[in-house]
Parts: sequence; C-alpha cells; structure tokens
Amino acid sequence: MAIESKLSHTAAMILQAIGAGHGYGFHVIEMTGLPSGTVYPAMRRLERDSLIRSQWERQSIADAEQRPARKYYKLTRLGQATLEASHKRYPLLAKLIPSEEVEQP
Amino acid sequence: MSDHWHHAILRGAAWLVPREQRAEWLAEWSAELWYARQARRAKPEVTAFCLGAYRDAVWLRRNRPDRENRGIPRLASPARCLLLLASLAVVSLLLSVAMPDSRTHHSLRSFLLMIGLACLIVRVTTSLSLGEYPANRNSPPLAIRLRRWLFLAAKIALLLPIVYCGAVTLESIGNRAEGAAGLLIQPLLWGSALAFRWVLRDQRKRCPVCLRLLANPVRVGRPSGSFLEWNCTELMCLRGHGLLYVPEGRTSWFNAPRWFYLQP
Repeated sequence: MAIESKLSHTAAMILQAIGAGHGYGFHVIEMTGLPSGTVYPAMRRLERDSLIRSQWERQSIADAEQRPARKYYKLTRLGQATLEASHKRYPLLAKLIPSEEVEQP
Repeated sequence: MSDHWHHAILRGAAWLVPREQRAEWLAEWSAELWYARQARRAKPEVTAFCLGAYRDAVWLRRNRPDRENRGIPRLASPARCLLLLASLAVVSLLLSVAMPDSRTHHSLRSFLLMIGLACLIVRVTTSLSLGEYPANRNSPPLAIRLRRWLFLAAKIALLLPIVYCGAVTLESIGNRAEGAAGLLIQPLLWGSALAFRWVLRDQRKRCPVCLRLLANPVRVGRPSGSFLEWNCTELMCLRGHGLLYVPEGRTSWFNAPRWFYLQP
C-alpha cells in the first residue's frame, strides 16, 4: 500500500505547510486556517508515522530573542517522498500553501 | 486576567496527557500560546486556540504506546466483522437450543412483529441515510458497489438470529428464575432496534470499495461557520479509496455523510 494513500487532504495540507517551511504549530495554523484542535493531533499522527520529526530549538537562541523556545517540525525523507506523491493526488496543495523562507534553528 | 485563564485551560488539558509526556506537552502549548498572543489575536480567538489543547490531549491519551494492540478484536476488516457476527450467532443459537422450555414457535411470531416496531423506532431516532456517494471518474464498477449492499444484508442476516436466540435464552432464564412469562418482548424489541442502529452506523463508517472501517478522523471547520464553510469530520480509507465527510450539523447543502472517491 502506498504511503500517500494514508494521507487525508487535511493531513496533506499540514505536511505541505511543514514542508514549505512553516515549522511550528501556530505557524501551521496560520497558514492552513485549520483550528488548533485539528492541527496538533494531526502533527502527532504524522510524527508517529515518521513523516515529520520534531526538535526543540536551543534555549540560548530563544533567550537571545527574549521569547520561549519553539518546538520545530521538519519533514523526514519519507515525509518528503509522501508529500511529493500527495501532490499528484491533491494538485492544488502547492498553490494553497506556497513555500516560504522562515528562520529555522 | 486572561493570561491566567488561558494557562488554566492548558493546565486543565494537561491532566489528560499521559504523565511521561505531560511536561513537554505543556511546554510546547505554553510556547505556542505566547506566539498566539504575539499575533495580536482577539481574546476569544486565543481562548478557542487554547481549547484545542483538549483535543490534542485526548488524542495523546488514546494513542499512547502502551494502549496499542489492546482492547476488543479489531473489526476493521469486513471478513473479521462477518466472522465475529457468525460466531456470535452460532453461540447464541446453541445457547437457546440448550435452554429448556423455549417457546420457539410463539417467539418467532413475536419477533417478526418486534422487527417491524424496531424499524419504526430506528426510523424515528436516527437517520436511515447511508450517505451520499456521488459518482466521479474514480467510482468503482457496479459489481464492487453491489458488494457493499451484500455486506449490509449479511450483517443484518447474522444479527437477527443473535437477537432472536439471545431473547429466547433470556426468556428461558427468566422463566426458570421467577416463573414469570412475557420476558421475551422487551429484549426482542430493544435488541432489534439496537442491532439495526449498529448496522447503519457501522455501514456509514466503512469504505464503499474495500468495506474496511475508515480511520484517522480529523475535524474540519468551525461550528460557527456552517453556512459558508465545511463544518465536518473527515475520515479516510487507509487503502486510499476515498474520503468521507460527516457533517457536524445538518444544513440544506450538506445534511448527510458525503463520500469522495479518490484515484486508487
């Protein structure tokens, strides 16, 4: 069974947002317009399925900018392949959430 | 004031998170809350954001690693579902035959009457619609679509003997215990009604192509946006046959579960 077949449209949208560089939960919410109660459980599921991985940014970086440390999410290699395959099934994904240069840890 | 209120919401939700994940979970949500406030969102929006923490916490509790592979046998596969129903039918049949004084002939007539009444109860208490399955270029052929109806018929055919034999067994036990008659009607009526209700609910939650239970429910939209936006739960077939959208509330344009076939 293909991996991308497990991705609903909503999950593919969240994967696309993370792949486009919107690396933390609130940013994904802003880009997708989905409620927090949808986005976070979906990200947990994507992480459980090894499509994304999370990492806390270094506290020193956050301290220097006087803000709390963020938990960043990134696509894994499997997640990248799944996202590319999902573009065939949901062709408007890339247009809905374009890539963006954002700061990463 | 609202600062404390939002943190109180998060701390309340944190109790639902498994203990070993709680500290990190709360740290992540507290940080996210800070960013939500920085985005200069209105207070109700920030509150709605915090309330989403409960869904996240419930998901973590339901999906904690030690709970995997535990619980009732998985009925996702149609074959397993029919096998379980067939086993229950055989067991209940054997039990009812083993019971002395079972008034089978009389019971059968009552049962047919109760089935009719149960259909009326189900009609009144729940929707009989199995959903909308609009055809598109990925729709399966007629033979596969017929299979779905055969599966529905097989479930009903297996459940009715379970209800009937179960009621006869209960009546025999009741007669022996109290020497009273007339214990058959209630189990027949409510057993049939519950059986029909379960059949409908189960059928709605299955993929029309592979007949497996749908998975990965995701809430889409907001209750306040029902008129202009989707407000539903999205489920999907793990084999990729399609998506099911179940409305949270009925509207004129979206009042029944709607299936969307995907390219397999």
